[in-house]
Amino acid sequence: MAPDPASAPALQVIDVKYSYGKTRAVDGISFEVSPGEVFGLLGPNGAGKTTTITMISGLLRPESGQVLLFGHEVSAAGGQARRPLGVVPQDIALYEELTAAENLRFWGRLYGLTGAGLEAAVSRTLEQVGLADRAKERVRKFSGGLKRRLNLGAGLVHQPGLLLLDEPTVGIDPQARLRILDVVREQARAGRAVLYTSHYLEEAEQICDRLAIVDHGRVLAMGTVDELRRLVGEGPVVHLRGEAAPGALERIAASMAGVTLISASDSVASFAARDAASCSALVRELLGSRLGLEDLRVAEPNLQSLFLKLTGRELRD
Amino acid sequence: MGTIAALVAKDIRRRLADPAGLLLTLMIPLVIAGLMALAFGQFAGGPEEIQKLRAVVLDLDESPLSTVLTSPPRDEEAARRLEIVAVATREEGMQRMREDQYPALLVIPEGFTKGLLRGEKVQIELVKNPSQGFSPVAAQQAAEVLALYLSVGARVLDDFGPQLESLLDGEERSWSDSVALAALATAVYARIKSGDNLIFPPLIEVSEPEAESAGERLGGFNFLSWMYPGMIVMGLMFVGIYQMKDLLREREAGTLKRQLASPIGAGALMAAKIISVAVVVMISAVVMMVMGSAAFRMTWGPPGRMLLAVLLSSFAVTGFSALIYAIVRTERQGDALGGIITMVMSLLGGAFAPSQIMPPAMQKVSVLSLNYWANGALRSLSSQGGRDIGVYLVVLAVIGALCTTLGVAILARRHFRGAV
Repeated sequence: MAPDPASAPALQVIDVKYSYGKTRAVDGISFEVSPGEVFGLLGPNGAGKTTTITMISGLLRPESGQVLLFGHEVSAAGGQARRPLGVVPQDIALYEELTAAENLRFWGRLYGLTGAGLEAAVSRTLEQVGLADRAKERVRKFSGGLKRRLNLGAGLVHQPGLLLLDEPTVGIDPQARLRILDVVREQARAGRAVLYTSHYLEEAEQICDRLAIVDHGRVLAMGTVDELRRLVGEGPVVHLRGEAAPGALERIAASMAGVTLISASDSVASFAARDAASCSALVRELLGSRLGLEDLRVAEPNLQSLFLKLTGRELRD
Repeated sequence: MGTIAALVAKDIRRRLADPAGLLLTLMIPLVIAGLMALAFGQFAGGPEEIQKLRAVVLDLDESPLSTVLTSPPRDEEAARRLEIVAVATREEGMQRMREDQYPALLVIPEGFTKGLLRGEKVQIELVKNPSQGFSPVAAQQAAEVLALYLSVGARVLDDFGPQLESLLDGEERSWSDSVALAALATAVYARIKSGDNLIFPPLIEVSEPEAESAGERLGGFNFLSWMYPGMIVMGLMFVGIYQMKDLLREREAGTLKRQLASPIGAGALMAAKIISVAVVVMISAVVMMVMGSAAFRMTWGPPGRMLLAVLLSSFAVTGFSALIYAIVRTERQGDALGGIITMVMSLLGGAFAPSQIMPPAMQKVSVLSLNYWANGALRSLSSQGGRDIGVYLVVLAVIGALCTTLGVAILARRHFRGAV
C-alpha cells in the first residue's frame, strides 16, 4: 500500500462544492497533497474542513468538482478507491467493549488484512502509538489521551497511502499531543501523504509542510509556513486590547510610515510593522495616546496574524 | 463474505463482553411465566371463587332420563353452581351459545336412552364456544363426568333394560306397578354390590364436532405450555430491539461513519448488522427454550422443526426490529415505540390470554401480529411436536422478508444517505 512517488499526487481536490440545504459549506476548494507531504487545512469551526474531509473519505458526494485518490475519482470507483485511505476522525470512533488489539484487528480486517499479516500489523501499530503494553485492556478503561492514540492507530493499521487526520489532538494533554505529532511525522517520513486539519496554529506550524487557510468554505491562502508568514510582512506584529475606537486606530496607521492595521474590532486590534524602527515608533504612539489600552504585545508574524489579516478575527472564534 | 463475517464477529464479541443487558432480557419470559403459573396455580380458583358452570342443552331424545338430565337443578346449592338452558333446536342452541356467551351446547341425540338401556355405545355431543377461553374446558370435563356416571348407571341396569324400557314406554307395566318396581330395585342393588366392570370400558362417549373445535384445542390444557411460548416471543422482540439499537449507537459513536469510509459498502454493513442481530436473537431463543425445558419441563418437538421455528421466528423478529429502528431517530424513541408495539402485538397475538377469548374484531386484527404466528409455531411445538407448524412457519417467513426488506431500505436511506 506504500505510495509510488512517481505516480499521480496522493490526493487532488479540484474545485469541490457542497451545501447543506441553503448553506454553502464548501465553496470551490482546490488543493493537492503529494506522497511524503504533510498538508494542513486550517480554519475555525464551520470553515468547511470536516465537510471537505468527509468528501475525500467518500461519505459525501461533491455537488461539483472532483476528488482524486492516487488518480482515481473517489465517487466513481466505489469502495476499492478508499482502500489506500486511512481515516482518523475528530470524534474517537472505537469500540469501548473491545480491547485495543481487538479494535485494531477489526479495523485491519475491514481493509483486507488477514492471518499473520493482520497480527503483524496490529503489533506494529500498537508499538507505533505506544500502546503495546495495553494491548489486552478494554478501551473503556483508557484515558482520553490513550483513546486518541488508539484512534490514530486504527487509521494506520493497514498502512494507508493517504492519512486523513481530522483534529487528531483535540482535548488531550501535551504529552499525548507530542506523541501523536511524532507519529504523524514518522508517517510522512515513510512516504505517506498526510492531510491534517486543525485549529491549533502552533501545531500546524510545527508539522505541516504546506498549509491552506480556509474560512466560509473557501481557501483564503495556501503555501508553506514561510510563504504564508510573508503575506503578513517581515516585521513584527503589535497586538493590543482596550477600548480604542477603530476609527482612531485607522488614523494612527494612516499617519505612520511602515505601519498597517491588520484587524480591529471592539476590543482587540493588530498592526503589522515593516521593521523594528517602525514598530518602536508605533508602540510609542500607542502608549502616548489616550486610547484606554489594557494590554499591548509585540510578536513575530505568525499564522494567527495572517488569519487575523485575512478574516479580521481570531482563529478560535 | 469475509468482511461481513468480521463485522458479525465484532458485534457478537461486543455482546459477549457486556452480556448483562442481554441476560436480563432473557430472564423476562422465565420470570413472567413463572409468576403467572404461580398465580394461576395457587392463588386463583379457591372454593368461594368457583364460577357457575353454564350450558345450553338440546334434548332430541325427549325421554324421562334425558328430561331429568336437561332440567334446571332444583337443589339450591346445585343451582348456584349450574345454569342449564333448554332449547328446542340446534340452531337455537348455537344462537344462544353465541349471543349469550354460553361456553358449550350439549346435544342429547334421539334414541339416546333406548340405546343406553340396550347396552349400545351411544354419544352425547358437546359443541364448545371457541370465544369462551377456559369455560369450555370445564364444560367438557363436566360432560365427561356425566358420561361416566351414566355409563355406570347403564352397566348397573344392563340386564334390566327391557323391563325399564317397558316401564318407560308404559306398554305392559307402569311406574305404579309397585311389585315390578320392587323386584327391579332389589336386582339393581345386588348388581351394585357386586361392583364388577361398572366403569370400563365406557358406554358413552362425548363427541366434539370437528368444525367447532377448529383452532386452539383447550382440552388437556397445560397453562405453561400455552403461556411460556408467548413470553419467549415477547422476550425475543425485546432482545431484537435491544440489539438493533446498536445501529444508532454506532452512528452516534462515529464507528458507523468510520466503517463507511473503509472499502466495505453500505450494503455489506447493513447485511452484517441484520445477521448479527438475528444470530443473537436465535441464540436467545434457544437459551429461553432450554430454560423452559429446565424450569417447566417443556418439550419442543423434533429438532428439525424446532430449528426451523427458531430460525424463522428470529428472522421475523429481526425484520421487525429493523423496521422499528428505520422509523425512529433516537434510542429513546426506539425504546418507547418498540416497547409499546411489542406489548400491543404480544397482547393481540395471545401472549397473555388466548386470542379466542378476545372480541371478534380483535381476533381479526391479531392475525396481523408477528406474535400470533410465532406464538402459534412455538405452541405447536410444545403441545403437538409441531405437527401443524407449517402454516405458522410460512407466515413467519413472509413477515420476516417483508419487514427486513422495508426496514433495510429505510435504514439504508436514512443512515447511509449521501454515502458514495
